[in-house]
Amino acid sequence: MKRISLINLKANRKSKVVEILGGGQLQDKLMNMGIYKGKEVTKLSHLGLRGPVVVKAGRSILALGHTIALKVMVEGE
Amino acid sequence: MIKKIYLIGNPNVGKSVVFSRLTGVRVMSSNYPGTTVEITKGYFPMEGEKIEVIDLPGTYSLEPTSRAEEVAVSLLKEQSKDEMAVINILDSTNLERNLVLTLQLIETGFPVIICLNMCDDAGHRGIHIDVEKLEKILSVPVISTCAVTGAGIKLLIERIKESKPITKNKLQHEERWKEIGQVIEQVQHLEHRHHTFREMLEDASVRPFTGLAIAAGVIYASYNIVRFVGEFIISKVTDPIFIKLYQPILEKLTIHWQEKGFWFHLFIGDLIGGKIDFKQSLGVLTTAPYIEFGMVLPYVISFYFILSLLEDIGYLPRLAILLDNLLHQLGLHGFAVIPVLLGFGCNVPGILATRALESKRERFIAATLISIGVPCVPLQAMIFGLLGKFGGFYVAGVYLVLFSLVLLLGIILNRLMPGYSPEFLLEIPPYRFPPLVTLLQKLYFRVKGFLIEAVPVVMIGVLFINILIYFKLFDIVTSITAPIIHNLFGLPKEAVVALVIGFIRKDVAVGLLMPLGLTVKQLFIASTLLAISFPCIATFVIIWKELGFKDLMKSTAIMIGISIIVGTLLNFTILR
Repeated sequence: MKRISLINLKANRKSKVVEILGGGQLQDKLMNMGIYKGKEVTKLSHLGLRGPVVVKAGRSILALGHTIALKVMVEGE
Repeated sequence: MIKKIYLIGNPNVGKSVVFSRLTGVRVMSSNYPGTTVEITKGYFPMEGEKIEVIDLPGTYSLEPTSRAEEVAVSLLKEQSKDEMAVINILDSTNLERNLVLTLQLIETGFPVIICLNMCDDAGHRGIHIDVEKLEKILSVPVISTCAVTGAGIKLLIERIKESKPITKNKLQHEERWKEIGQVIEQVQHLEHRHHTFREMLEDASVRPFTGLAIAAGVIYASYNIVRFVGEFIISKVTDPIFIKLYQPILEKLTIHWQEKGFWFHLFIGDLIGGKIDFKQSLGVLTTAPYIEFGMVLPYVISFYFILSLLEDIGYLPRLAILLDNLLHQLGLHGFAVIPVLLGFGCNVPGILATRALESKRERFIAATLISIGVPCVPLQAMIFGLLGKFGGFYVAGVYLVLFSLVLLLGIILNRLMPGYSPEFLLEIPPYRFPPLVTLLQKLYFRVKGFLIEAVPVVMIGVLFINILIYFKLFDIVTSITAPIIHNLFGLPKEAVVALVIGFIRKDVAVGLLMPLGLTVKQLFIASTLLAISFPCIATFVIIWKELGFKDLMKSTAIMIGISIIVGTLLNFTILR
């Protein structure tokens, strides 16, 4: 199975988070907001080349800055 | 015995509204995370005693990851657990994520009572929660409320004393999410719904093309509504009151007041063509009230109405993601949109709102850019009054100069200052449509705040200026600064009085330019300089308080330097 970052996931696709790279602090922060290993997220949009990525996790809509989105790895197709 | 009640919950779940309901203390709430940057305290009567209620900043967990969260958690740990009650407020439309904090609170042994807020919104979205079952599973009281309308608040109050600590094992993160999954399965029932129009709008506003189109439309419409409503109030309400009602009274007074001495000069000012001219007479009873009530207040009302509406609907975070890219170039990130927009009303709340930005570097950049390039409503209203009659071209010119300055200065500061800008991670709230009553309450709150802040300063300011003018004390200052003002900026030396007074209040300062009979070019330069030079005293003090003396000096040096450069450049590049 391929792993890709949220940046490379196409808009309107659903996928499962497989890993969050980077420090434990970022992992905790995302975890508390509802993005964690095993969670299904839907990518809504990506604004501009280096802009934020908007995802839906559960019932929340979250905007992740570009470098944060790079660290969220999801299952690729 | 309960001594203190704490309100805790995720950001943007309506804590402040519940707080107002309990204590009667009005606090502002907005539909985006991070409104509560200050700790608000109030009192609530229970069994004959006054119990302190504390509204904590929104937090996602008890393991803090931001400054606001740290504050919330450390305050919670101050009080002994058997002398407190913790009201955990949850957003019913997003039970899953909200339960993380709830479980943590229960596990840590806090006496918790759960307030499932926004139950009406959950109903609209087809989310049904079995409150009794949830209460049984968690073994703490659960009350469903809708704080905006007040539903359920009475029951919440009755059951506060039922909150007591229960014993529960501490869980790891993954285990906790697993447990939440199980709880949700038992208590929440989702009705299958097709995408509603509201959800379609929510989606469209965060996608690149539709999002930008919507943003452009919203900004354009807001700007026009603010102007239209402001002008409407002026022409239909305030001007008639001043000219048809107030002026005759003042004129009757002046008839009996033959001797035009010191007091006449102070209160009425100069007569223009034998008559009182509210824009030019410059007296404490003439120009001072006219500037505040006749020129500025109408726009303050219309601006805050639109801003409050956009806030409560939840549009601002969407604007934040659209502008994130651009703001990164300035060393900021998307969330900085909120302090900037507040700064357009008044710089003081704008700079206070930079607290929600994480690093000191970001706060410095944001505060400096706001005080230089974001003109407050009073200043804008006066610039309209001054330049508007020469055509929209000049007014647009001032905005263009300010906007380019913000971009340029932001890029430079971002390059020069050490450190990097932290990344953006923001929850986007659903659109909510506020009841008109709450909207009007908020408007009242803000307009009242403006009046309390502005009116005394303006009155005393004008009085003070008139005394200085009467005794010709400004002459010394004007002759010293004349070379700069005249040679570099091309302004008459009297204009320096306005620039100095700009430190007290910007609107009065623009008022002082009116009787000078300046050319369009001079007016353009003077209003631009007033916008970018020294902030008014209130802003000055707030930068000092928020960023410290060193940063205040740095920021001030930047402002003075830029004013001199811009003033000179404009003077030598504009031909007309």
